[in-house]
Amino acid sequence: MGKEMIAMLLAGGQGSRLYALTQKLAKPAVPFGGKYRIIDFPLSNCVNSGIDTVGILTQYQPLVLNEYIGNGQPWDLDRLYGGVHVLPPYQKASGSDWYKGTANAIYQNLSFIERYDPEYVIILSGDQICKQDYSDFLRFHKEKGAEFSVAVMEVPWEEASRFGLMVADGDDKITEFQEKPKNPKSNLASMGIYIFNWDILRKYLIEDEADPESENDFGNNIIPNLLRDGRRMYAYHFSGYWKDVGTISSLWEANMEVLDPEHSGINLFDDNWKIYSRNSGMTGHKISSGAKVENSMITDGCKVYGDVKHSILFAGVKVEPGAVVEDAVVMGGTIIKAGAKVSHCIVAENVVIGENAVVGAMPTEEESGVATIGAGIYVGDGAKIGPNAMINENVKDGEEKW
Amino acid sequence: MVNANADAMGIIFPNIYDKYVPELVSERLMASIPFASRYRLVDFLLSSMVNCGIDNIAILVRQNYFSLLDHLGSGREWDLARKKGGLNIFPPYAQKTIGMYGGRVEGLASILPFLKSQKEKYVVISDTNIAVNFDFNALIEAHIASGADVTMTYRKEVLPKSLVEVDDDTTRDLYYTLEVNGDRVEKININSQESGEQNFSMNIYVMEREWLIDKVHKAFVSGGVYFERDILIPQIDELDIRGFEFTGYAARITDMKSYFDENMKLLQDENLEALFAGHPIYTKIRDDNPTRYVGEANADNVMVADGCVIEGEIENSILFRGVKIGKGAKVKNCILMQDTVVEDGASLEYVITDKRVAVSEGKELKGTDTFPVYIAKHQAV
Repeated sequence: MGKEMIAMLLAGGQGSRLYALTQKLAKPAVPFGGKYRIIDFPLSNCVNSGIDTVGILTQYQPLVLNEYIGNGQPWDLDRLYGGVHVLPPYQKASGSDWYKGTANAIYQNLSFIERYDPEYVIILSGDQICKQDYSDFLRFHKEKGAEFSVAVMEVPWEEASRFGLMVADGDDKITEFQEKPKNPKSNLASMGIYIFNWDILRKYLIEDEADPESENDFGNNIIPNLLRDGRRMYAYHFSGYWKDVGTISSLWEANMEVLDPEHSGINLFDDNWKIYSRNSGMTGHKISSGAKVENSMITDGCKVYGDVKHSILFAGVKVEPGAVVEDAVVMGGTIIKAGAKVSHCIVAENVVIGENAVVGAMPTEEESGVATIGAGIYVGDGAKIGPNAMINENVKDGEEKW
Repeated sequence: MVNANADAMGIIFPNIYDKYVPELVSERLMASIPFASRYRLVDFLLSSMVNCGIDNIAILVRQNYFSLLDHLGSGREWDLARKKGGLNIFPPYAQKTIGMYGGRVEGLASILPFLKSQKEKYVVISDTNIAVNFDFNALIEAHIASGADVTMTYRKEVLPKSLVEVDDDTTRDLYYTLEVNGDRVEKININSQESGEQNFSMNIYVMEREWLIDKVHKAFVSGGVYFERDILIPQIDELDIRGFEFTGYAARITDMKSYFDENMKLLQDENLEALFAGHPIYTKIRDDNPTRYVGEANADNVMVADGCVIEGEIENSILFRGVKIGKGAKVKNCILMQDTVVEDGASLEYVITDKRVAVSEGKELKGTDTFPVYIAKHQAV
């Protein structure tokens, strides 16, 4: 029996603007929100929406992601028929190709989709933080009798020219697509989440592949071609929390918004829409006598002896006595030694911040950078890391990096 | 070595000593009593076995075992969802002729056909009232080296008052102390009243599977109930019984007080590290979000699992997963099990709340160090 809808999740992005955080892992595998990775959001959305078949298209640094996904059990996606499958580029009789673009990545896996004979295919992006019910999106797609639908967000007009925009009529029918236009005719930004009728997707991917001029990209090629042919295209309005965490500052900001679910709209504490992840299996966290924890999120395995203010500590982080952590995102297994000061920054996994070291600085009027320390880095005792620094190599005792 | 697995299967008795903590087992059994902020007691023995390569484990449940079935599921979280071996849970009445078992002999007799069909040379047996990170390989090695018929584990401990105080309830499970000479067990005492440090049996045994089958079969047909009373003690001179002293960290639950104390002890870093050092302890995953400290929250010497929201003050306490502490609430010297809700302004001191207890706004509850107040599952105060 065919599936009604399966998901194809684009997870090949390098996330080059996250620099130090994506040296060894793909952007969808970047840790987020205390115990998650970015990809937990689309995967959990799928399973919560009733989608039980997901193909994950990987390309850049896939090791961490592959291991993390495993058999898909943490998301309840270990299924006899369907489930989650990691789809790297592979060799064919006619040779092998890296994924040339988003459309080409799906094109190369047409035979995967065929196995499930779906009516609809939803294309998802692996680098967004968003809680979304895809079944509601599908309901919209069916009600409109659409052949293609795209999820859109209303953005402020003054920012509209940074996005791919959908111009739609009163019935949400798309009449025009503008990619980062100077003079926006619409403020409906594409979220990069599409539902296709399977026959339409197939036809346009094959046609696109045959065009040597094409960049094989959904936004630049497939959508314009659909428009050209007057296909039934609709824009589905989404108004919940959505964030593309493509930059250090947006990633930091999204983490901070998790600390304030009442105002930011990103509520991870929702029993009806759980975000699943692979768990650390550590004991409960420990807040010692003399420690101070204020407006923060603390995960299993943490040991806090110092002060933690408005920060997120991932599993197994240790904050030694006299250390001060403020406005910081500190990923799993990191140790912040006695007297260190860690502020307004992102510290990746398994980092050691030496005694009395200073990492980042609280923002001032001139300076509001988010310092970033890559995974596994050792920052020496008394070292100083400036607010705009991006650290990829060990820092010696007392050294300064700006 | 290609295969590090021990050539042993495990048998766990999850109901033994239930009657020592009647409040905690009113809707569960010893094995599923919550412990150490996110575990159940069975997790420790089960994980210890798995970490030693024992991956064929039978659990002989007697009663009140719904919570345990729910906790263990297919055994996947302990890596026990296996084609060969894995987790086998034997409910009572699994056999036509046998009812609910009283002692180990009756329980084992009911699974003799299963035991006969297994392949492992050795069997390790354990109860679940002790939280311990136990090295079964060391026990099995000592057993093989000595050539004993059976090796039993003990730890030097002072018998808790609640055991020593005479109790009229003859249905309570027996406990044992050993008199050892070198590693030889010369005498096994039942329900000893001795003061001072004793060789307190942990009821963790190793023996050959064939030997166990033979002894259980013989004892059962002549009306035997307890493994120790009806097999080991009568044959203490004929059998080669050795003692294996365990000197590591162990938290033994013998009554409500020890339950409270053993949890609280884990607030000391050295104890927590001793219990969790070396091998990981696995438990059921709940997919809770990280714990949030909001507004005027204050925490002082606490162990808190994921999924909590803390808006009040907590001190010297253990919070299990999903606990909510309202604004201005004060929690001191407490153990709050899963999904306990303490509303705004409530105040708790020396209180143990079971799962899903709700303490309403402004309420005050106070126990003492020696007599903590216990609030049963789902109760609203």
